[in-house]
Amino acid sequence: MTEFFRLIQNENMKIYRRQSAKVMLILLLGLILAAGLIVKTSQPAPKENTHWKQELVQQNQVLEKQQTQVGGNRQAINQIKKTIALNQYRIDHNLKPSGGETLWGFVSGAAGNTVLLISIFTIIVVAGSIASEFDTGTIKLLLIRPVYRTEILLAKYLSSLLFAVLCLVLLFLFSWLIGGLFFGFDGAAEAHLSYTSGVVHQTSWTLAVWKDYLLNGVSLFMMVTVAGLIAAAFRNGGLAIGLSIFMMMGSSIIVTLLSGYSWVKYVLFANLDLTQYASGTPLRSDMTLGFSLVVLAVYYVVIALAGWLFYTRRDIKA
Amino acid sequence: MANEPKKPAVVLEHVTKKFGRKTVIDDLSFKIYGGEVFGFLGPNGAGKTTTIRMIVGLMRMTRGNIFIQGHSVKGDFRQAMRQVGAIVENPEMYKFLTGYQNLVHYARMIPGISKERIGEVVKLVDLEERINEKVKKYSLGMRQRLGLAQALLHHPSVLILDEPTNGLDPQGIHDLRNYLHDLSRREGVAVIVSSHLLSEMQLMCDRIGIIQKGKLLGVETVSQFMEEGGGKVRFTVNDGAKAAQTVKDKLALNPLTVLTDAFELAIAYEKIPVVVDTLVNGGTRIYGVESVTQSLEDRFLEVTGGKQHD
Ligand SMILES: Nc1ncnc2c1ncn2[C@@H]1O[C@H](COP(=O)(O)OP(=O)(O)OP(=O)(O)O)[C@@H](O)[C@H]1O
Ligand SMILES: [Mg+2]
Repeated sequence: MTEFFRLIQNENMKIYRRQSAKVMLILLLGLILAAGLIVKTSQPAPKENTHWKQELVQQNQVLEKQQTQVGGNRQAINQIKKTIALNQYRIDHNLKPSGGETLWGFVSGAAGNTVLLISIFTIIVVAGSIASEFDTGTIKLLLIRPVYRTEILLAKYLSSLLFAVLCLVLLFLFSWLIGGLFFGFDGAAEAHLSYTSGVVHQTSWTLAVWKDYLLNGVSLFMMVTVAGLIAAAFRNGGLAIGLSIFMMMGSSIIVTLLSGYSWVKYVLFANLDLTQYASGTPLRSDMTLGFSLVVLAVYYVVIALAGWLFYTRRDIKA
Repeated sequence: MANEPKKPAVVLEHVTKKFGRKTVIDDLSFKIYGGEVFGFLGPNGAGKTTTIRMIVGLMRMTRGNIFIQGHSVKGDFRQAMRQVGAIVENPEMYKFLTGYQNLVHYARMIPGISKERIGEVVKLVDLEERINEKVKKYSLGMRQRLGLAQALLHHPSVLILDEPTNGLDPQGIHDLRNYLHDLSRREGVAVIVSSHLLSEMQLMCDRIGIIQKGKLLGVETVSQFMEEGGGKVRFTVNDGAKAAQTVKDKLALNPLTVLTDAFELAIAYEKIPVVVDTLVNGGTRIYGVESVTQSLEDRFLEVTGGKQHD
């Protein structure tokens, strides 16, 4: 075990001593800071609102009417029901909605797109970690040690995933800090209201944000694995990076194009977004969370196995 | 040394390698023992690097097997590699790391290498002053030294160096030669070197295996190798062509080379006076007679029939 830990140490050293890792981390923090500045300067000054309860009551009355008008649109009705329930909860529990951006609002808003950016970074890291040693020729001195290729590949893969975890932790801490500095640390105690199957729960924001990271992380995890496979198969980092980012960006278009066919549910990209089950509106009505998890697991095993075979079985000609 | 009934350090058994249909290594079998420096010799593209790659498990053999200290490279890779230190082709290291970080990296992959040992090998290859600089700033010779350092970290009992003198200065080559000699004699390490500097091998190696187009032409000790090629005598005369004609006509000997003022003959030592007499009687003036030891290089070209690229 300590032997494997040393392999991870090695791969970490090779990731973080490279210029590119430093650039990526600085870029990540810089973007969060920039987002904070933009939100801060563009939002109107929050005004003191003493009549918020009446306003919420009014809003709910309007929504009740709308609900009868939208007809059969399940998604719209769900959304309206949710807003009504949340408003009612605030009225009942005396939880005043904030006038503008808050600390947690910023943290949560930064999650989605930034996780996509972290996916891209991690794809770059894993592709570089696996493929670049073939370009530089260092693979030869790496693989003549009394260590199996499987262990080396696993160390490369895990250290890349650890890089993603580090980015997520940094994202969380830094967006919390920026959110606090720009929108007030008093917002740190704000309660998170969630709505599941008709009931409103009061939960912790930290949990809610990490759940969001995790749901977005499914796509990160799968696409990083795909990038690792391509890197191992073609021993070409650029190809692995280009192809997997292209697939990740194009996945929603691909799914939309194929959404008419019933077999779309077996396509990897149709199952990457697990939030479709949280919102109660899956791509196809015959898809469930369990179904998606099984599809993802099958894809994962096939991709990981193929990558492993490519890495461990072929001659080193570099 | 080869005759001693000793356990071989490296054994190649009918090793064959094909790339597609092309047979690059053809049924190679030989043994290398601890305490000797074995030279692996052959023209460009003969298959030296491919053989080394198979010994260290970078390439699979199509047929045959390789054992290192009794451990099969195929079946017991970890134990086999535990014994081996190697440089394969160029010693490519991580350029964005310092020399020291590179060594730490390799040291982490084998249990039991202390900080002191790292310091020891750094000193050994004379890199103390520059070891904390990034490898991208190193010269070729310095990288070669660092390559040697990483190969020695774990006290391997088999040391494999693919063209180790490449990039070294004369002092470096001299030191390497002495060091490899010491290592084999004092610590009983089996050293395998491949090199294009044939004259180097002559000084460095105990035995030499010649490989050409993937086939082993023979394994001989350096002295055997030289003896077989011996008996060349150079006559410095006033007219090379005329003198050559004389020995051809009168003694039925075929000169190897004919120059304007000299010619060379492959004859036994005892025959020299006869040739001298014949030449003098024929009116040739002799300025010098010397026996020319054939260099390994000449001998090598003779055996392989000149440089052959494939
Ligand atoms: N990956 C490969 N695919 C096909 N043929 C290859 C491959 N690698 C090497 N060869 C061929 O195998 C033969 C032996 O190559 P190798 O590199 O072992 O020669 P070498 O003896 O090390 O030569 P050099 O002295 O130039 O280093 C050459 O004919 C080469 O073209
Ligand atoms: Mg070679």
